[in-house]
Amino acid sequence: MTGLAVDEAAWGSAWRGRSPGDKLLLCAGLVGCALLLPAWPGSVLVGLAAVALALGPARVPARTFGRAIRWPLAFIAIGALTAVVAVGDGGIGWAPDAAARAGSLVGHAVAGSAAVLLLATTTPMSDLLPELRRLRVPAAVVEVAGVTYRLVFVLLESLGTIREAQAARMGWAGPRRSYRSAGMLAAAVLTRSWDRARRMQDGLAGRGMETGLRVLPDALPSSRPFLALALALPAGITALTLVVR
Amino acid sequence: MHIAEGFLPAGHALGWTLAAAPFVAHGARAVVKEVRENPESTLLLGAAGAFTFVLSAIKLPSITGSSSHPTGTGPGAILFRPPVMALLGTVVLLFQALLLAHGGLTTLGANAFAFAVVGPWAGYAAYRLTRAAGAGLLPAVFVGVALADLATYVTTSLQLALAFPDASTGLAGTLAKFLGVFAVTQIPLAIGEGLLGVLLFRVLTVNARPELERLGILKPAPVPTGGAA
Repeated sequence: MTGLAVDEAAWGSAWRGRSPGDKLLLCAGLVGCALLLPAWPGSVLVGLAAVALALGPARVPARTFGRAIRWPLAFIAIGALTAVVAVGDGGIGWAPDAAARAGSLVGHAVAGSAAVLLLATTTPMSDLLPELRRLRVPAAVVEVAGVTYRLVFVLLESLGTIREAQAARMGWAGPRRSYRSAGMLAAAVLTRSWDRARRMQDGLAGRGMETGLRVLPDALPSSRPFLALALALPAGITALTLVVR
Repeated sequence: MHIAEGFLPAGHALGWTLAAAPFVAHGARAVVKEVRENPESTLLLGAAGAFTFVLSAIKLPSITGSSSHPTGTGPGAILFRPPVMALLGTVVLLFQALLLAHGGLTTLGANAFAFAVVGPWAGYAAYRLTRAAGAGLLPAVFVGVALADLATYVTTSLQLALAFPDASTGLAGTLAKFLGVFAVTQIPLAIGEGLLGVLLFRVLTVNARPELERLGILKPAPVPTGGAA
């Protein structure tokens, strides 16, 4: 599953030990450039920078990056095509500025998606969630999100195991059986999630949990050279775009 | 069907974020209150969020020949109520953006408005109205879950139509264009997700009746009184 692949890439990335705040600043800068600068050359430069950083210094596997970006590309292609098709009295045709509009839409969206994917493939969610506290998100909400993140993998494993067992019993042969199996699969995953939460609660209550799930996060100090890159790269892309335009 | 990163103009992305913010903040306040009063709820709420994420990973056979993924917010809205789903749905969208590359960060507000606000509220309202009209649990679940999915798709189409209006046909023409293109996958998916909801609740009424009673979805079964022989 791609989701696990993106998470595994984040844990195995050469940037795993870098401060999540530094990486957030870099990717936010690139996302901002992708959104606000003209597609040519702004989005092209953002896309190239994000891919080069991910596959170069961050050492994200090219196959993982390529597979993950297929999903947004499918939406971008259908959405952009729909946006530039004109339906009038004469039937279906292209809008007058179809090529320019489609190019601009695709450019902004691909560059932005690549910048978000750079963050996703270099920073595990468990490093990003504590950063939400800095944005003044309530501790209880961050804790719920943290439990959600940890349980997602447990439930995905349950989902895979149950589905395999159903498939071995011809549970996914034909639409009728598939729907029945999907319903039973969803119910089994839900009751397992309740059961798992209840047993975790019992275990934590036995250890005296009263005020929340306190964990010791990894110390990932900020780096001045990386911070300089995080500020200089978006600034450089902006300056170059303004000069070329 | 999530709007990809960078697809919406900056003004629209900001506008939809501001529109979703009060609902998500209301959901966050409800979660904070619940966790403060019952710290053990953290785990149950986390499990509900994880279930919503995982439900979107179940493949449903589609009449178009391929397979589709349910949104997962319809059953969640019926089980856990729309305010909680506004927050949990937004958390799930954030995870989908960063774990699956579905959606984005600047489009998180627009996707949250469609997926975590309009979908759950429309689905929950349809479920309650259908039950109030005298229908049983399973027909009401079908209507609620299918409508949650349809409302999400209509809202996303509206967001795209507002962002990219057609010069000749205006907003209405553009909306019809986006609705028509996405209807090919979304209408069969809404019906499929409604059926999945019915099958899910049918199993839950047998295997997890106490939980459904605790959530207020089923009335507690009357306790049989022992009669003298």
